[in-house]
Amino acid sequence: MNYFSFYKDGKALYCLILIGLSLCFSSVYAGNPVRSNTNKLQQNQIKGTVTDGSGPLPGVTIVVKNRSGTGAVTDYSGQYEISASPTDTLVVSFIGFKKTLIPVNGRSKIDVVLKYDTTTLQEVRVNAGYYSVKESERTGSIARITSKDIESQPVTNVLATMQGRMAGVSVVQSTGVPGGGFDIKIRGQNSLRSDANTPLYIIDGVPFSSEAVGSYITNTAFPSPVSPLNSINPDTIESIEVLKDADATAIYGSRGANGVVLITTKKGRTGKTEFNITASTGFGKVTRFLKLMNTQQYISMRKQAFVNDGITEYNSWDYDVNGTWDQNRYTDWQRELLGGTAMINNVNGTVSGGSENTQFLAGGNYYSESTVFPGTFLYKKGGAQISMNHKSADQKFRFNFSAVYNSQNNNQPSYDFTYDARSLPPNAPALYDTAGNLNWEDNTFDNPLRNLNTKLESVTNDLTASALLSYEVLKNLTLKSSFGFTDLGSKETRVVPSTTLNPAFNPTSANSSIFVNNTDRSSWIIEPQISWGDNTSIGKMEILLGSTFQSQTTNRLQQSATGFSSNSLIYNLAAAKTVRMLLNDETLYKYQAVFARFNYNWEQKYIINLTARRDGSSRFGPGRQFANFGAVGAAWLFSKENFLKDASWLSFGKLRASYGTTGNDQIGDYQFLDTYTTSGVLYNGVIGLKPSRLFNEDFGWETNKKLEAALELGFIQDRIFVTSAWYRNRSSNQLVGIPISGVTGFTVLQANLDATVENSGFEFTLRTDNIKSKNFSWTTNLNFTASKNRLISFPRLESSSYSQIYRIGKPLNIAMLYQLNGVNPQTGVYNFQDLNNDGIISYPEDRQNTADLNPKYYGGLQNQLVYKRLTLDFLFQFVKQKNRTYPMGPAGMMSNQQQRISNAWMNPGDSVPYQIYTTGYNNDALTADYLYTDSNGSITDASFIRLKNVSLMYDLPVNLKESRIRLLLQGQNLLTFTKYPDGDPEFTSYGFLPPLRVISAGVQLTF
Amino acid sequence: MKTLFNTYKSLLLFFASCLAFSCDSFVEVEQPQSQLPSSAVFEDYSTATAALTDIYSNIRDKGILTGSAFGISNTAGCYADEITSTQNPSNSSLPFYNNSLLPSNTTIASQWNGTYNQIYSANAVLEGCEKSKVLTDIQKKQLKGESYFVRALLHFYLVNLFGDIPYIITTDYKTNSTMSRTPVEHVYQKITSDLENAVSLLPVNQIVPQKVRPNKTAAEALLARIYLFRNMYPEASNMASAVLNQSGTYNLESIENVFLISSKETIWQLQSGAAGLNTLQASFFTFSSAPPPLVSLNNDLVNKFPTGDLRKTKWVKAVSSSAGTWYHAYKYKENNATSTSKEYAVLLRLAEQYLIRSEARAFQGDLIGAKEDLNLIRRRAGLSDTPALSKDEIINAVLEERRWELFTEYGHRFMDLKRLGKLDSTLNSLKQGWNTDDRLFPIPQTEFSTNPNLGNQNPGY
Repeated sequence: MNYFSFYKDGKALYCLILIGLSLCFSSVYAGNPVRSNTNKLQQNQIKGTVTDGSGPLPGVTIVVKNRSGTGAVTDYSGQYEISASPTDTLVVSFIGFKKTLIPVNGRSKIDVVLKYDTTTLQEVRVNAGYYSVKESERTGSIARITSKDIESQPVTNVLATMQGRMAGVSVVQSTGVPGGGFDIKIRGQNSLRSDANTPLYIIDGVPFSSEAVGSYITNTAFPSPVSPLNSINPDTIESIEVLKDADATAIYGSRGANGVVLITTKKGRTGKTEFNITASTGFGKVTRFLKLMNTQQYISMRKQAFVNDGITEYNSWDYDVNGTWDQNRYTDWQRELLGGTAMINNVNGTVSGGSENTQFLAGGNYYSESTVFPGTFLYKKGGAQISMNHKSADQKFRFNFSAVYNSQNNNQPSYDFTYDARSLPPNAPALYDTAGNLNWEDNTFDNPLRNLNTKLESVTNDLTASALLSYEVLKNLTLKSSFGFTDLGSKETRVVPSTTLNPAFNPTSANSSIFVNNTDRSSWIIEPQISWGDNTSIGKMEILLGSTFQSQTTNRLQQSATGFSSNSLIYNLAAAKTVRMLLNDETLYKYQAVFARFNYNWEQKYIINLTARRDGSSRFGPGRQFANFGAVGAAWLFSKENFLKDASWLSFGKLRASYGTTGNDQIGDYQFLDTYTTSGVLYNGVIGLKPSRLFNEDFGWETNKKLEAALELGFIQDRIFVTSAWYRNRSSNQLVGIPISGVTGFTVLQANLDATVENSGFEFTLRTDNIKSKNFSWTTNLNFTASKNRLISFPRLESSSYSQIYRIGKPLNIAMLYQLNGVNPQTGVYNFQDLNNDGIISYPEDRQNTADLNPKYYGGLQNQLVYKRLTLDFLFQFVKQKNRTYPMGPAGMMSNQQQRISNAWMNPGDSVPYQIYTTGYNNDALTADYLYTDSNGSITDASFIRLKNVSLMYDLPVNLKESRIRLLLQGQNLLTFTKYPDGDPEFTSYGFLPPLRVISAGVQLTF
Repeated sequence: MKTLFNTYKSLLLFFASCLAFSCDSFVEVEQPQSQLPSSAVFEDYSTATAALTDIYSNIRDKGILTGSAFGISNTAGCYADEITSTQNPSNSSLPFYNNSLLPSNTTIASQWNGTYNQIYSANAVLEGCEKSKVLTDIQKKQLKGESYFVRALLHFYLVNLFGDIPYIITTDYKTNSTMSRTPVEHVYQKITSDLENAVSLLPVNQIVPQKVRPNKTAAEALLARIYLFRNMYPEASNMASAVLNQSGTYNLESIENVFLISSKETIWQLQSGAAGLNTLQASFFTFSSAPPPLVSLNNDLVNKFPTGDLRKTKWVKAVSSSAGTWYHAYKYKENNATSTSKEYAVLLRLAEQYLIRSEARAFQGDLIGAKEDLNLIRRRAGLSDTPALSKDEIINAVLEERRWELFTEYGHRFMDLKRLGKLDSTLNSLKQGWNTDDRLFPIPQTEFSTNPNLGNQNPGY
C-alpha cells in the first residue's frame, strides 16, 4: 500500500470522476423506458372554480396527471381553465390544503372544493444534509426558515435573515458598514478559541468555507476581516436548516460541533413557465446615537478640569479652551459624520418551470447600498443562479445541478468614523474652509474627513456549483455521488494617499501608500454514497453509507507599497518606490471521511436513528489525523398509541432524545509543523526568514458531546404546536491558542487544553393559528431560548495562563472586574474594593468580580396577519443581556463625553456617580478611570426588545390571469426599546457603526 | 436471486474498497511551499543567514530598539527630560511624557513582546547551528557570535527598562513560559558572558559592507558599556581602548557627517528596509510646521547647550509659527525616501566609547586621561576644553556631555540618570507625581496572567 499511493497526485479524483461518469451512463444501459403510449385523444377545455368551501382560492395549481407541460393556476376569483381529455385526471394542489385528484369523466366544468390540510407542516420533508426526513419523523433538532421569511426582510447577509427567528441560534451584527459581518453562535460558545465557534456552512451539499478572506491590513473599517458569507445572496435561498443536536450533526463529525447551516437554493417546479421580478428601493439610517455633551457642557467640563488640576494658564495646545477655536461653535458630530442616509436598491428576477421530468430555474439579482458616512461610497452585489433537475422517464436516474455565482464590489472609506463622531470636541472647527478644502485650522485640527481619502476597494467573486447523480440500481437501492466545486477570488486594496496627512508633515506622494490583499480559494468535494430503504415486515429501514473526499487550496498574496511619484499612480505598484511583499502563501487543506446512517421506523411510532463518521484531516500531525464520531437518536410518536389515538385535543405528540459526539477542527492549517516563514523584509540583500510559531505537534481534535431531549405537541389539528427542548453540550480537549508569556517569544501556543465547557439550555417554540377564516387569518410564532454557558473543569486553572480570564463554574464570556465603591467624596476619585486588603488596588488580586456577558435568554415573536389581499408580518426580537458601557477615556481631556458625565465630582463632599475631571495631570484619576472601565461600574443592562422586521404586502386587485402584482413595504430594526445608555445595544466591538434602520418599498411581479 | 446477490456483493466490495482507501495518505499534506522546516533552514548557509539577518530588520522595525514612536529613543526620551509630547490623548507618547504609564500600556507590551520575539529568533539560530551537520565551523562561529551579541544587547535594554527580567537562553516554551525573574545583577553577568562569547567568536573584519552586521568591535563596544554600567571601571576603560585603538578603521567624523551611512565613527548600524529608504527616526522626530504634531525636543535640553555648540546648530532644528518656536532632533535629516539611502540607524558609535573611557578613567582617578577623552568630544563640537577639575566635576561634566552628544539615541539619557542615581533629583521638578518607583517601567499586565512565576509587578504600578 505504501508504494502505491492511490490518493497522491489526484488519482483519487480521476477515479471518482470515472465512477461518476459510469453512474451517468448507467442510465443508458439500464434505461428501458416505458414509452408513453397515450393516444392523442380529443382535448377539451375544462373550466371551473376552486374554493375552500367559502371563498375562491387564487394561485392553486392544477395539472393533468401523468402529463407534463400542462398546468394552470387559478386567478383571483379562483377560476382556472385547462385542456384535458375526458379520461384524464386533474391534480389540484395548493400549499396548506390536501392534494386532490379529480377524474374528468367527460365534464367540461369542474368546481373544486379543497380541504385544509392540517398536517402538512408535519409532512414537510426537512433537509438533514445527507438525507431528508419527514418533519413528523425526525429524531434530531433542526430549525428551519424558508424563502417566505427571508424575502420579507430587506437584508443582504444570510445570517441576518436568521436573526430572532430560530431557537438556539444567536446572531449579532458586528458593524453597520455594508460588506461587514455578523457573528453567529448555535447553542453557545463551545471552544475557548473565540474564532473557532463558527458553524459548518453547506450550500446545496457543498461545504462553504466561512474563513475570512479579508485581511487586517485592508479591512480597517471592520471589526474583523471580512467573511465570504456576504457572497451568499438571500434572494437565491429556498430554505435554511440549522442542525443543532448530536443526532443531526454527528454525521458531519469533526465539523459538526458548532452546528451545521444547510442552505438550499431555489429550484424550478413542474408547471408553467413562471417569471418573477422584484424591485425595491429603501433607505437606512443609524438606529441610535449616544447622548453627548453640547459645547456649553463640554467647555465647562474642560475648564473645571483645569481648575481641578490647578492649572491656571491654558497650554498652547488646548485649542478648544484657549481661544484658538470658537467656543460658541457647536457641531453634532454624530449627525455630521454618521447621520447620512444609505440608499438601498435591490432588484432580482427568476424564470422557472419545467415538465414532469425536468425542471429548471434561472435567476439574477443586483443590490446596491450607499453609506451613512460623508462622501460617496457604494457597496454593490450582483449574481446569477441556475439550477436544473432531471429524472429519467423510468424514474431511476436522477440528475440535479445547481450553480450560484455572486460578485461583490465594495467601495468604502477604510475608516469607521464612529470613534471620531463620539470623541471630537463639540466646538471643533468646520470640516471645510470657505474655499471648500479640508480645514486643518492652522494645524490645530486633525480633520476626520482626511480619512475619506483612504479608500477600501474590494472585489469578491464567488462560484459554488454542485451536481448530484443518482441511480436506482435495484429496487430501493440507490447509488449516488455528489460533486461540488467552489471558487472564490477576492481582491482588496486600501490606499492611504498623502492627502490624508496633516500638511504640517509636509507630505508628498512619496508618503502615499497602498495595501493589497488578494485571496483565492478553491475547493472540490466528492461524496459517493449508497442508500437502501425498504418497508419490511419488521418495520421501515433506511441505510446510508458514504464517503467524503475534500480538498481546499487557499492562496494569499499581501503587499504594501509606498512612495509614488504621483498620487494618481497609487494603484500602480510598479510606480512605487518601495514594494513590500507581506505574505505570499498557499495552504492546502485535505479532508476525508466515511459515514453511515441507519434509520429504523416501526409503524411510524418508534424511530431510531444511528449515525457515525470517521474523519481525517490534514490539520493535525502524524498519528493524530483520524477520529471517530457518532450519535444515536430516538423518537416516540406517542399520539399514535392506542390510548391517545382518539384524543381529539391532541393531534400530535412526540418525544425524542439524542446523544452523541462531534468534533471541531477549526485551528488553521500547518499548525503542527516546525517551520520558518519568509518575513518579506529585505536585509542586506537577503529576504529574511522568521520562525513561524512555537513548535508543538502534539495536539488533536476537540470533542463535543451533545445530549438533547425534546417534546413536541400539537393541539386542535396542530393549530397550536409546541416544541420544547432541553440540551446539554460538553466540549472537551479544548484546542486553543493558549495565551503564553511573551518571554517565550510568542504570545500564543497551539495546544489541547484539558478543560471542559458546558452549554446547556432550554428552547421553546410555539406556533398558533389564532384565526383562520375566509378573509382573515392570523398566525403567531414564538421562539425562546434560555441558555447557560459554563466552564466546568479546568485543571490547574490558577497557575495557567487563563487564570485571569476564566473562572470554573462561570461562563466563558465573563468580564473580570474591580468592585467600584463609588466616588470618594474627599478626593473625587473612584474608589475600588481592596479585596486583599494590601492598601492598594492591584491586579489581579483585586480584579476578581465577574459579570456574565452572555445573553440570559433571547428569542423572537412573529405574527402574520392576512386580510384578503393584505399580508402583514412583523417580528419582535428580544435579548436579555448585560454589556459594557462605551468607554470615552478620562473626562476632562480634549475629547467629548456622554452627557451623564456632567454629574461629576466638583467639590469635597460631593456625592455623585462620576469622578473628578482631569486634563491628564491627575494620575490618581487617570488610573481610577482605567480601573473603572474594568470595574462593575462599566457593566450595565443592555437588554433590548426590537421591532426587528415589518413586512406589509398587498396584492393589487388586477384581474390578470395567472399573474400577480404585489406591493411590498418592509422595515428592519424599526424600533428599539432598551435601557442601554450608550447607543445601540447590539454590538460586539466598540467604536464601530451600529446596525442601520432600513425601510424599503418595492414591487413584485409574477406572471 | 443469485445475480441479485452478486450485484449486492460487487457493490459492497466497491464501497468496502472505498472505505479501505480512506485511511490512506489522502490527508497527509506536503510541506507548505511558503514555509521551510526549521531543520532545513540550518542545512544551508544562505537560509541560516536569512534567519539571522531577519532579526536585524525586526530590531529596526519592532520592539525596544525600533526608531518609530514605539521605540526607546522616543519613549525613554519622553520619560526623561529629552522630549516633550503634545497633550493629544491619542498620542501614544503622552503617558511616557506625563508619567502616567499603566501596566496595560500597549507600547510597553509591544516593546516587551517584540524584544523577546527577537531573543527567541537569536536562540533559534544558536540551537540551529548546534544541530546543523552542514554548516562549517567558521560559518557557525559567525552566526553564533552575532546571536550571542543580539541576545546580550536586547537583554541589556530590557533590564534597564524593566529591572529584574527573565533571561531567556532557549526556544523551549515549556521552560520559558514559567521562568521567574532574574535579578538585575545576574542579568548583567549573563549579558557579560554572552558578549565575551561574541567577542571570541566574531571576526574583526566586516563580513558585509556598510557595518550593518555586528563584528568583534561591536561586541567589544557594547561590552565596554556593560562594564561601565556595572561600575567595573578598569575593564570598561580597557575594553573601550580596544575599540578606540583601531584608529585606522574607526575615527571621529565632523558633526555634519556623523550619521551618514559612510561615517567612520559608526561601529554598527541597521540597514533600512529598502534601497532609498532612510531611518524611522528621521520620519518620526522631524516636522516642518509648528505646533508639532506629536513630539518635539524638550526646551530644557535645547536651552542648556553651551554657546557655540555645533551640535545645537547641526543636530537640532527650530520650527516657528505665530504660536511659538519648537525644536526637533535633526541628527537624522532624511525624513523621506531618497534616490539612494543616505542614513541608517546607528546603534553603536565611537563618540560613546570616548565618553565611556573618560568616565571610567575619572572614576579610577585618571583625571588627565578622562579630560583628554572628554575634550576630544568637546572640540569636535566646537567647544573649548572642559573647565572641570575635580573627579566629581569631571564625572558630572561627562554626564552633561553625554546628554548633548547622545540625545534621542536609544535612551542613553534615561539610563545614565538611573545608573548614576540622579533620576529623582533631575525629574522630581519636571514630572508631576514623580517618585523613586518610577525608575522602572511596568511589566505588561498580561504577563502576570500568563506566567505564574513572574512574582510581583514592579513597585508603584
